[in-house]
Amino acid sequence: MKHVIFLGLLFSILIPPFTANAADELIVYSGRSDKFIKPVIKVFTEQTGIKVILHSAKSTALINKLRLESKHTKADLFISNDAGNLQIGSDQNLFMAMPDKTTAIIPDNLRAADNTWVGLSARARVLVVNTNAKNIDFVDSVFDLANPKLKDRLGITNSTNESYIAGTTVYMLAAGRSATKDWLTGMKSNVGSSVFNKHSKIVKAVAQGKKDVGLVNHYYIYRHLAKHPNAPIRIVLPDQKDDQIGIAWNVAGIAISKYTTHKENAIKLVEFLVSQTGQKLFAETNREYPTRPNIASAPEVPPASSFKVAKVPMYELGKKRNATIDLIEEAGMP
Amino acid sequence: MPKRLVSLNTLSGAVVTFAAIPLIFVVYNSLLLPTEKWFVFWSGRLPELLWNTLSLATVVSIGSLLLAIPSAWFIARRQFPGRSIATWLMVLPLAIPTYVFAHIYTALLEDDGWLGQIWIGIFGEHAIIPEPYGFGGAASVLSMASFSYVFLMARVSLSRSSQTLEEAARIQGASSWEVLTRITLPLLRPAIAAGLAVVVLHVLSDFGAVSMLRFQTFTLSIYLQMSGRFDFQGAAGLSFILVILSLTFLILERFFRKRQRYYAGSQTRAVRIKQASPRETLAIWAWIGVIALFSFLLPLAWMVAWSWEAWVDKLIGSEFLTYSRNSITVAFIAGCLAVVLALPVALYHTRKRSMLSNAYLQLSSVGFVLPGPVVALGIMTFVITLLPGVYTMGGISMLVMALVIRFLPLSVQSQESSLQQLTPSIEQAGRVLGAGPFENLWRVTLPMIRTGLTTAFVLVFIDALKELPATLLLRPTGFDTLPVRIWIEASEEMLELAAPAALMLVAGTLPALWIMMRNEKSNY
Repeated sequence: MKHVIFLGLLFSILIPPFTANAADELIVYSGRSDKFIKPVIKVFTEQTGIKVILHSAKSTALINKLRLESKHTKADLFISNDAGNLQIGSDQNLFMAMPDKTTAIIPDNLRAADNTWVGLSARARVLVVNTNAKNIDFVDSVFDLANPKLKDRLGITNSTNESYIAGTTVYMLAAGRSATKDWLTGMKSNVGSSVFNKHSKIVKAVAQGKKDVGLVNHYYIYRHLAKHPNAPIRIVLPDQKDDQIGIAWNVAGIAISKYTTHKENAIKLVEFLVSQTGQKLFAETNREYPTRPNIASAPEVPPASSFKVAKVPMYELGKKRNATIDLIEEAGMP
Repeated sequence: MPKRLVSLNTLSGAVVTFAAIPLIFVVYNSLLLPTEKWFVFWSGRLPELLWNTLSLATVVSIGSLLLAIPSAWFIARRQFPGRSIATWLMVLPLAIPTYVFAHIYTALLEDDGWLGQIWIGIFGEHAIIPEPYGFGGAASVLSMASFSYVFLMARVSLSRSSQTLEEAARIQGASSWEVLTRITLPLLRPAIAAGLAVVVLHVLSDFGAVSMLRFQTFTLSIYLQMSGRFDFQGAAGLSFILVILSLTFLILERFFRKRQRYYAGSQTRAVRIKQASPRETLAIWAWIGVIALFSFLLPLAWMVAWSWEAWVDKLIGSEFLTYSRNSITVAFIAGCLAVVLALPVALYHTRKRSMLSNAYLQLSSVGFVLPGPVVALGIMTFVITLLPGVYTMGGISMLVMALVIRFLPLSVQSQESSLQQLTPSIEQAGRVLGAGPFENLWRVTLPMIRTGLTTAFVLVFIDALKELPATLLLRPTGFDTLPVRIWIEASEEMLELAAPAALMLVAGTLPALWIMMRNEKSNY
């Protein structure tokens, strides 16, 4: 026993302290799946020789970490899958403004008003429908999901899901609070307490005919189709009529830490990610829409120019996050 | 007060102060929480959260007892073919983290999962497969993941406790049922209590299973408060209530077994193990087999199957070795430190029963009952405020600190329960024969509680190896451990890729468990 203790103490002394990152290294706090970032980073490193260390965790946890670390942080950049988290970071004064010339190429509703973050890829909240389902053609708006005709036929995620919260924020701002609350209550009586914890499971349940319709991010449909090309599912782009609000949109994006000691390299990474090559790589790995105009999305997804998007600036996803959670809790969503 | 107790007192005071760092963060932040918000909590979610958390803890305790006690008794008191395999099977579930359990059971119970397929095969195409979500699922997963703690403590106690009392009772004409209920089980009480305390603390602090299976307990709610709304104060307020709840439980538990101390004499004969009849053997194996099937073999088979797929698809590279090395290094250091730091607290409490020693004991368990993310934030705040240099240069030191604080109570509990079984006369004999306090500690006490020390190390090591929420926040940049990889792969709905890391985690715990088992064997 005493040998073990001894060894342990010795060990803990001998472990070399991790030193601060080297001059040509960037540390990125990443809330996006490694799988979708690594290929992009690899190309960046090949092109510039700048090494990038990904530090992955939940976006929200990383924001909390940045907040506590403040000037002691080692992070140079922050990537999140949710505009809400990026804006909350901006509101907490964690990021620095990027030069206009870096971000100008991205439409201004897809980045922070003060340039503290910029959207890199966009995802659409759409409906997945079973092609054999009967009596489903009346659904052309997300608000139809509250229709009692869909009792036990609807698949939604649980209400702690980031995309779900972001989508609800958009509906709340575009259609009003009380309409959105009615919508939530209607969906709740359609699903009871049986909600899904993953979008992929909703798509699967619809493909198997257990549910007729589900509310998901568009790429989950194509991820499923890539594995099961003959699955009986189709995408419905909701709210496209003139009097309807359009599709809810959310972006993944990047911000530069206010306390970075590698500002130049950090800007280089952002510039790469908004460049033609970077945009294509970043969005395509997950079949998302590039935020830079005129870059084609993956061939299987409906082109971004083919549908109407709700007119809600992405930074509102952060500003109205708590109000949305309040609304969701008021409606008692599972 | 004798001099030695004074220095023990100071030492344990220092350890407890260290362990209470996250608590200071919680208390400070909850003092900042405005009164009306407390009121909102109280009138809103609190009653439901209290009910959910308490009922889950109760049901998991009962579940763990049902799974653990009969198995422990069979294995400690009967000789049957494959007995040592049976022992292993009852301990191995410890190698699987609750979040992996939850992931695996949700996958198994899908309609194309193994169990789902069997269910459909039996009940027909349109049968509704039971879902693992909610109370039932969380309770089952947590029972399977934690009954081994009760098993371990009960088995040690059963195989070491003297049979003289049982034999005396038999001679006096007691039936075997009476012996069981009036001698064996009461003698087991301290071990059961210690095991259950560990189980309940795991339930109160569990985040993995309840978040996967969506059962709203305190921990989940604290996490949502912090991550959904970025509300530290609200999270701290809820944590504070959780701490009070847990301390109340621990104090009650102590209170009910206050006057129960049983000493095992040093000269008791080794426990005589009866040969099991063939029928008994069959019954024992049926019992242990079913438990092992669901709590270990099925999850293991799932991991192996998916790892094989990942292997075939060439998704496993040498980076897995780095992740494993990182995990094992951190857990090993945390385990050693937790053993050393727990010793003064356990010794002080065994030697001297006072308000202070009790308070120390309770306070040292605070790290365990606080949710991992809260512990992590508390430590970060502390280090950044007081030791910014450590923060910049610290490497894995903060992570180790968090793991030690989180799992210290495991070490204290098992050291204390082994110290309690030590007859004071042995130590007194050492002193009479002229050994100084340190020599006595080194040459008499520590060797006598060697099993307890090893168990302490192994328990901390295993939990540290599996730890996720604090590790996610506190690991140095780019320092990925196995649980971190499992989380990364599983969170983007790529569950299959999580299997190889989970399998490595199981493999990593094997040596630790082996050390513990071997150690116990040599003690018979």
